[in-house]
Amino acid sequence: MIFSGESIYKSYGKLEVLKDVSINCKAGDIHGLIGANGAGKTTLFKIFLGLVTPDSGTVNFFSTGAKKAGGIIEKPALYGYLSASDNLKVFAGIQGIALQKKQVIEALHRVGLSQDRKDPVSNFSTGMKQRLAIAIALLNNPSCLILDEPFSGLDPLGIAAFGEFILQLAEKEGLCILLSSHIIDEMSRLCTHLSVLKNGKIIHSDSIDKSTKSLLKTYRFYGPRISESKVLKRFGAVGERNCMKLNIEAAEMPQLFNALGKEQTVVTSMIPDLNLDGLFKSESK
Amino acid sequence: MIALIKMEGFRLLRQSRTYYALAGVLLIEAVVLLSAYYQGNEIIDILLSQLRESFYFEGTLVNGNLITYLILNSMWFHLPLILMIVVSGLLTSEYKDRTLLTAMMQPVRKVRYLLSKYLVGILFSVIIVLLLSATSLGFSYAIFGRGDLVVLLDGLNFYEQPNAFLRIVLAFAAGTFSMVFYSVTSLTLAVIFKDVTKTWIVSVLFIVISNLLMKIDFGSGFLNNVFYFKLNQSWQFFFYPDIPWSQIILKTSLIVLYTTLMTLLGLFLFKTKDID
Repeated sequence: MIFSGESIYKSYGKLEVLKDVSINCKAGDIHGLIGANGAGKTTLFKIFLGLVTPDSGTVNFFSTGAKKAGGIIEKPALYGYLSASDNLKVFAGIQGIALQKKQVIEALHRVGLSQDRKDPVSNFSTGMKQRLAIAIALLNNPSCLILDEPFSGLDPLGIAAFGEFILQLAEKEGLCILLSSHIIDEMSRLCTHLSVLKNGKIIHSDSIDKSTKSLLKTYRFYGPRISESKVLKRFGAVGERNCMKLNIEAAEMPQLFNALGKEQTVVTSMIPDLNLDGLFKSESK
Repeated sequence: MIALIKMEGFRLLRQSRTYYALAGVLLIEAVVLLSAYYQGNEIIDILLSQLRESFYFEGTLVNGNLITYLILNSMWFHLPLILMIVVSGLLTSEYKDRTLLTAMMQPVRKVRYLLSKYLVGILFSVIIVLLLSATSLGFSYAIFGRGDLVVLLDGLNFYEQPNAFLRIVLAFAAGTFSMVFYSVTSLTLAVIFKDVTKTWIVSVLFIVISNLLMKIDFGSGFLNNVFYFKLNQSWQFFFYPDIPWSQIILKTSLIVLYTTLMTLLGLFLFKTKDID
């Protein structure tokens, strides 16, 4: 175990933001946290990163380094008037590390950034800023990375590339990663565990396999004139032209694909679609 | 701590706002220099109108020393204002750009981080006053030449060039403590208000109210000696024939005490507040 947050409570005045929240994470795990806006995800991550003090509960990092966790909250926050190298040097300096040129190049290279860019980071794309923010988060070798909405502002290619990068950090470098996002298909691709936060309370927490089985029952099927598919209609799908939405259990999938194959329906993509409302209602019962 | 101060100083020097502030100080100084020249002629005419009937004056009394003295008189609003804007910006800009979040995610103690900002703010204030004193003396001497300084404080006082220069330098040194107090206060206001505009408005209010209260005589010797806004005038003591050193030391010590208390208040509030 690298990280454990136990029985976290936090209120702002009479508003209870977090109620008895517990999450833990092992080395190499990516623990995803999903929830509607205002569910308390950002407050929880700020508590884990020591930015906000909980009313009660404990946060423990079972690692020996000076820096327990690095992170990004909502969007990268960098000194826009400084270059990428200078940002790294400043944030390293804050924690008492005097980065040498070679170390700066290594840190930039680790996140796929070139050392040739000498201009202020305000000129950088969102993806580049995200990568630089990760490089800063990884300074001083934390064993845990906490990323709140790291995909926001990225285009689909950027999301895929950044997701791959997060996966590498967990799998190759053994970091424990806590991640929140509204992009469910990316979360289901990356995470090993998934928790759902609703009104400040964890209403679901399980491995990604079990979570996917219980949570992901709606899928969007894309293909040329897919709405003309009789098979999909028979299974109860609804939609228009090139997109059909279908509620289906994972066990019924082979039967559906067999039928679609026989019908010679071309499916170009199938995207899991989490119905949070339905999920919250069912989990709250 | 030294590393934190270095990083803070590095960021301050890399921000264009710092250089705008420096340019602002020099621009205001140039305007004050110009107005002081005309004001100086008028003041000298009024002061010496009666004396001219009995004495013959050789040379000009509107010289570099008098102009610098007038600059000293007029620096109590614009210099604190510029200092408060720049120094409060050390923190408000971090709140605005959210870089404080990133900084506080690093293994650094909140108190040490803010203390480094206070120290850099103090250093910046000292440098600005040094710059102002050097340039105002330099420009004034270069343009208006040297000569005796005439000052109206409990009667007319004349000081010869070397003595006048020393008194002006000491007055700038005493004024530095007041400027540091304003800078430290602005940083504490930044801790409280976080927002750039709110902090600026409150800082301006603070200067205006301080200047208004400075001019009120409270009658009570205790209030006149202890309240911070009364302490900012201690630089004037250097232009009395007999410099009241005990008064200067007492008032300067009190400003240092107020500055320390203001710093401690800021550190306490910052430590107890969440980083949102």
